[in-house]
Amino acid sequence: MTKGNDRFSMKALAAAVSATMVLGLGMLPAATHADETCNSPYTPLIKGQEDLVYVWTLGVEGMGDGSDKLVTVDVNPKSKHFGKVIATLSVGDRGEAHHMGFTDDRRYMWAGALDSNKIFIFDIHSNPAKPKLVKTITDFAEKTGFVGPHTFYALPGRMLIQALSNTKDHGGRTGLAVYNNEGDLVKTYDMPTGKMSNGVMADGYGYDLGINPQQNVLLTSSFTGWNNYMMDMGKLVKDPEAMKHFGNTMAIWDAKTLQPKKVFEVPGAPLEIRWSLKKGDNWAVTATALTGKLWVIKEDANKEWQAYDVATLKTDSPIALPVDISLSRDGKGLWVNTFLDGVAQYWDFSDPMKPKMTYKKKIASQVNMVSQSFDGKRVYFTTSLLGNWDKKGKDDEQVLKMYNWDGKQLKEAFSIDFYKEKLGRAHHMKFQAINLKQLQPLQAKLDGLDTLDKVALTDRQAK
Amino acid sequence: MSYLSANIVIRALPPPSRGWGFPISLLSLLISLSAGWALSSAHAADVPIKDPDSNGELVFNYDINLPGTYTLNRIKRAADGKVLDTDGKARALTDFFGGDKLTLLSFIYSSCADPNGCPYAYAVFHQIKSRLEREQPQLANKLRLVSLSFDPERDTPAMLKLYAGDNVTAAHGVQWDFLTTASLRELIPILDAYRQDVYIDLDPKTGKSVGTMSHVLKVFLIDRDKYVREIYTASYLNPDVAYNDILTLLLEDGARLK
Repeated sequence: MTKGNDRFSMKALAAAVSATMVLGLGMLPAATHADETCNSPYTPLIKGQEDLVYVWTLGVEGMGDGSDKLVTVDVNPKSKHFGKVIATLSVGDRGEAHHMGFTDDRRYMWAGALDSNKIFIFDIHSNPAKPKLVKTITDFAEKTGFVGPHTFYALPGRMLIQALSNTKDHGGRTGLAVYNNEGDLVKTYDMPTGKMSNGVMADGYGYDLGINPQQNVLLTSSFTGWNNYMMDMGKLVKDPEAMKHFGNTMAIWDAKTLQPKKVFEVPGAPLEIRWSLKKGDNWAVTATALTGKLWVIKEDANKEWQAYDVATLKTDSPIALPVDISLSRDGKGLWVNTFLDGVAQYWDFSDPMKPKMTYKKKIASQVNMVSQSFDGKRVYFTTSLLGNWDKKGKDDEQVLKMYNWDGKQLKEAFSIDFYKEKLGRAHHMKFQAINLKQLQPLQAKLDGLDTLDKVALTDRQAK
Repeated sequence: MSYLSANIVIRALPPPSRGWGFPISLLSLLISLSAGWALSSAHAADVPIKDPDSNGELVFNYDINLPGTYTLNRIKRAADGKVLDTDGKARALTDFFGGDKLTLLSFIYSSCADPNGCPYAYAVFHQIKSRLEREQPQLANKLRLVSLSFDPERDTPAMLKLYAGDNVTAAHGVQWDFLTTASLRELIPILDAYRQDVYIDLDPKTGKSVGTMSHVLKVFLIDRDKYVREIYTASYLNPDVAYNDILTLLLEDGARLK
């Protein structure tokens, strides 16, 4: 194989070609290699103030229309509807709404349901304040043999989907599916199984994925199958046989060919994957749900990818159960939510091999997802983990909360009670700007958002 | 803000406006190209190429898969559209796909001043063309490069012929076609089908175009059956990867490498 590191010379050549056209203007377009914590590197980013937060919400029987729905919240502090729900879009049934992901042009958002296996494609560019359902893929399980479309990750012109389970036994063995942006299946790939060359037994499980394009690697993690994630949590933890069926591995793949290269032992269901976006960094972090640890995957001195157990989470509850994580753009700070005690922990990741917890705050009786703005100054939390895993009774608090983060403490800016609003269980969040001209990296530095335009559009939606 | 379709978005630029206008841009480009690509480092150093965080340039650091050791999936059928060649003749876009050739397609406009956009695509195309002709000359006639303008107002067939220079008339080696459209009416459906964003820069005071546009670079590799087999975008267009992808598809068609 040849080394693909001659980008600079080509870039310089291109630059020289255009040199006389841009010299002295001091205004250049931006490349895209970072995110609002977890988006695909192929997706344009919102570098400034986000206007909207979409919340993929699980329907609850007897609450409102009972359907899963996409909830749109105005989050621009200059809007008079700041912190208010401005649109809801029911998808017509209840199928365990879970995660979402943008297409590479950020014009559409795909959202999955882990039980019905439906995939909903929303148009979020024609009128971002009022998304429109434009397509529903109903044959995902039939066509792929996989169950539980979980992670949606943009590739150029395509969507890479990580599933959780399979149609044969509803266990944890699963795979990846590639669709084109039009919603047609392109190809499926099984997760690796069996004994790998490094002696590790690959379990074939899947959960999250993330690509580091500069290294041409894809990293995947592992959770559990439909049999477990649809089981009542109280019943599950008392079932020793069921508890054996959780993923204990992560895998690194060639991102171009989607062929696995190496599998690591990472015991206890490694979940969300976040690559450091800091230039020169080549590491990712994850949290293991059942063992309550933070792991870092990075290259060693011999350029060999390795997995390192770098920290153990401590909580007031007997089990930490870390769920979502969010890494700052500079790779120096990590939010870690621990579901059972409803606390968000902040970890100093200046040295990723020796991270330290420096701050924590109770968010709610339970907390699952966390999303931060690109500059890290705004942090959003939601509370639902899975329909059958959320707490019961008064502890089943379902909220969207937004905080301002000054590097020292979280200060609450707004909170929406999703049960009081008769919406359902608040799960995954994605940001959007109303003015789409903000979404392109070529424009990121050029102009500020037209606040008046945004407010006017938001007002129209509210009416 | 969209006045044409979802694909054309008007945006206002803060002063000073960018770009020196088409004639100067074209002249600059031609002067640069005529220098045989032997450009001094001083020129490059004069241009502050930076990523959005001002951390410098991306550098790919991985081993590239050898041709024929992997497969490229059929992503979708390559969309058609009405285009004009440099002689002003009306053609179907898909006339430039298939047959016995692979196609590498990109969208450009001749006055583009974005080093991450058209000039970079141009440089990548030029490198791939030169490398294939040098290393695998027996396969040079199995690849076609297509540069399609999204500026029909200024990129007339005559202008594109000037922009293309010797590339379009070369009798041997890799074929390179430069195309445009008669108007936005023909262009927009093509941009929509390939989901190629284009932004028109406006003067914030007058609301009129300042003569420049922006886009996120996309390049499409299309096989002999007119299927898109790979899409390269923005910062991650690695010419060595694209070259090996081309060889991989040629091997799939039974070609032999030197």
